[in-house]
Amino acid sequence: MIWASSVLASPGTSIVIGSKNFLENRLLAEMFAQLIESHTALTVERRFGLAGTQICFQALTNGDIDLYPEYTGTGLVTILDEPAMQDPSAVLNHVRSEFRKRWDLWWLAPLGFDNSFALALRRDRAEALNIRTITDLVGAAKHLKAAFGFEFIQRADGLRGLKNLYGLEFEDVVGMQQSLKYEAADKGDVDLLDVYTTDGRLAVYDFVVLEDDRRFFPPYDAAALVRGETLEQHPELSKILSLLTNALSPERMRELNFRIQEKGETIPQVAYEALHTLHLVKETQQTTATTTKESTSFFSYMWEQRTMLRVRTGEHLWLAGIGLLLGIALALPLAFILERWRSGAETMIRIIGMSQTIPSIALLAFMIPLFGVGALPAIMALWIYSLYPILRNTFSGLRDAAPSVVETGRALGMTEWQILRSVRLPLAAPTIMAGIRTSAIWTIGTATLAAFIGAGGLGVPIVSGLQLADVRVILSGALPVTILALIVDGLLGWIERFVRPRGLEVSK
Amino acid sequence: MKNTCALEVQHLSVRFPDGTYALQEIDWEVHQSETMAIIGESGSGKTTLLRLLNRLAEPSSGHVFIQGHPAIDQDPIALRRRLGYVPQDGGLFPHWTIRHNVCLVPQLLEWSIEQQYDRFTTLLPLVNLDPTVIADRFPIELSGGQRQRVAIARAIAADPPIVLLDEPFSALDPLTRHELHEQFLILKTQLHKTMVLITHDITEAFRLGDRITVLKDGRIHQIGTPQELLTSPATPYVASLIEHHSGLQQ
Repeated sequence: MIWASSVLASPGTSIVIGSKNFLENRLLAEMFAQLIESHTALTVERRFGLAGTQICFQALTNGDIDLYPEYTGTGLVTILDEPAMQDPSAVLNHVRSEFRKRWDLWWLAPLGFDNSFALALRRDRAEALNIRTITDLVGAAKHLKAAFGFEFIQRADGLRGLKNLYGLEFEDVVGMQQSLKYEAADKGDVDLLDVYTTDGRLAVYDFVVLEDDRRFFPPYDAAALVRGETLEQHPELSKILSLLTNALSPERMRELNFRIQEKGETIPQVAYEALHTLHLVKETQQTTATTTKESTSFFSYMWEQRTMLRVRTGEHLWLAGIGLLLGIALALPLAFILERWRSGAETMIRIIGMSQTIPSIALLAFMIPLFGVGALPAIMALWIYSLYPILRNTFSGLRDAAPSVVETGRALGMTEWQILRSVRLPLAAPTIMAGIRTSAIWTIGTATLAAFIGAGGLGVPIVSGLQLADVRVILSGALPVTILALIVDGLLGWIERFVRPRGLEVSK
Repeated sequence: MKNTCALEVQHLSVRFPDGTYALQEIDWEVHQSETMAIIGESGSGKTTLLRLLNRLAEPSSGHVFIQGHPAIDQDPIALRRRLGYVPQDGGLFPHWTIRHNVCLVPQLLEWSIEQQYDRFTTLLPLVNLDPTVIADRFPIELSGGQRQRVAIARAIAADPPIVLLDEPFSALDPLTRHELHEQFLILKTQLHKTMVLITHDITEAFRLGDRITVLKDGRIHQIGTPQELLTSPATPYVASLIEHHSGLQQ
């Protein structure tokens, strides 16, 4: 259960390893982690599944993580924003010198495989239309349905660049999660998809990988990208990570990916076995529980994962709870102020209401430059999301509380403050509590986004499950979230009975 | 304060933002211990007139005097605590017990708890309610008539010299209304308070008012005793009101 142990150790004795949110990257990160753990006394903290290149890279430059597995082509095109080059060593040398100069970041020696993008077409379509290269595809593209990864659609070394170079135009392009694309293509809902050349599923699904005849895609050699500061503090790291230089061939990588994707083996297991085969780790007892996709029922899977789920549930409650408490602490006083200052109230509430419509990923992207990755930006985002229901309900509750009663209180000589405290507030209490309940459920649901920025929580199994296309893993995160929301709502409903003033309904 | 009117209004106008008048050039006075009924349709300005007295509204021009003193010179909060008030729907605080409701103004005036409780016990029989039975109930547990009695008790709890009543009986069924009218007349003779009673019911105005003010479209058509109104209506509008009233009598 190393997966779940995110120990907070003092700086200097621990290093933080990040990964992007797809399997191969997680696997490489896990291999780095186990390698370092077995060769040093350092504590390794795992911040896996960060949502995309930008978030990973931001986290690295911020110092929230010390290293993560990156690909040279991505460094060149996505991060440096430069045109693609074809010679692998030229790309490597270029990113090496640029990254060192600009950010003091170091590319260690490549691991030995190039995980490039490629376009894959269902074999039946490829044969019917006689398509083998991307150039062949251009004429037929209008009649094909394509599903691409979200990042691929936006990247210069993705669809945008492909369109420019080859002049590709599709009838319909949908954005889809990596693992879902394969199933959609298999079912015939889509014809064409972007694939990683080391993806294990290429061995299972019957696709034709189209030849990049105009050499559009740059080489994507995988390597560890490390902060210069970290290497200064722990000079041994560079030597240890170099043990993996050229250790992984494309075939080997495809096989390892395949075992996770299709055989249901866990990432720590596969990472360990890969290192063990290379004689890079000592024998340990951690390979005991080998689970495969079909072997266990959902509930026995949950039972096996109970330690991890307990930790994730704890993290989840903590994140959502702090977010909600902060939300209450800000929204309640703000509503009181706005109730006094009516003229600006609606505008203010609408502005805060708009924050609800910001997609969570976009909000996180704004947060990361300010707060880095981890719990802090997640809590900040949850805080923002929790505000609106509490603010709106408290304001409306206070404003609309029994107008004729409020007027009578005023006519009998109560001050506005006395009216607020003794009349408006108690009469608004049930409405305010309803707002807090809405917000609590919303916050618990939204806290799953924490997984995208390495803050843990029950979103972690959900995101991994999505990548594995394994419903069981998704449910192992989603079910506790639902139960948590129900319990918290019940609890708040119970509290509401004490807050609701007597006399509002006939007692039995 | 020799011979001062309890309430007096001079050259008073209230203009809406659109330039029309809620009240226009009103001169009006209420004598000590007198019950003045104000009758008018909705939109006649009668509620505005009442709100000017306890400074829930301010005049555009003219003057309001309470017990001979300009209202404008008085702290509105302190002033309101010296003016009893009964709204149409009782306006009881739904989350407070009856005793808590009745003792609102004494509590605001920081009477001791014993004083408040004593007052509650002596007051409720005056409005024909049993203090021991009703003290800890909530308004929702009472009938409409009982609630209105409680509202009257609350208005006079701190013994204000003046009581303002804004259509206090209009939401009640005829039988209950009749009962409360009787009660009101008894109270009137017992307590000698100056009262302003707003109504849109001419029968009620005739029954309860010592004098009657007839308001229409922000102007006073007539001020007089019921007898004066009956014998010499000042305008055709007053005459039509009287006709309606005598029509009801038969």
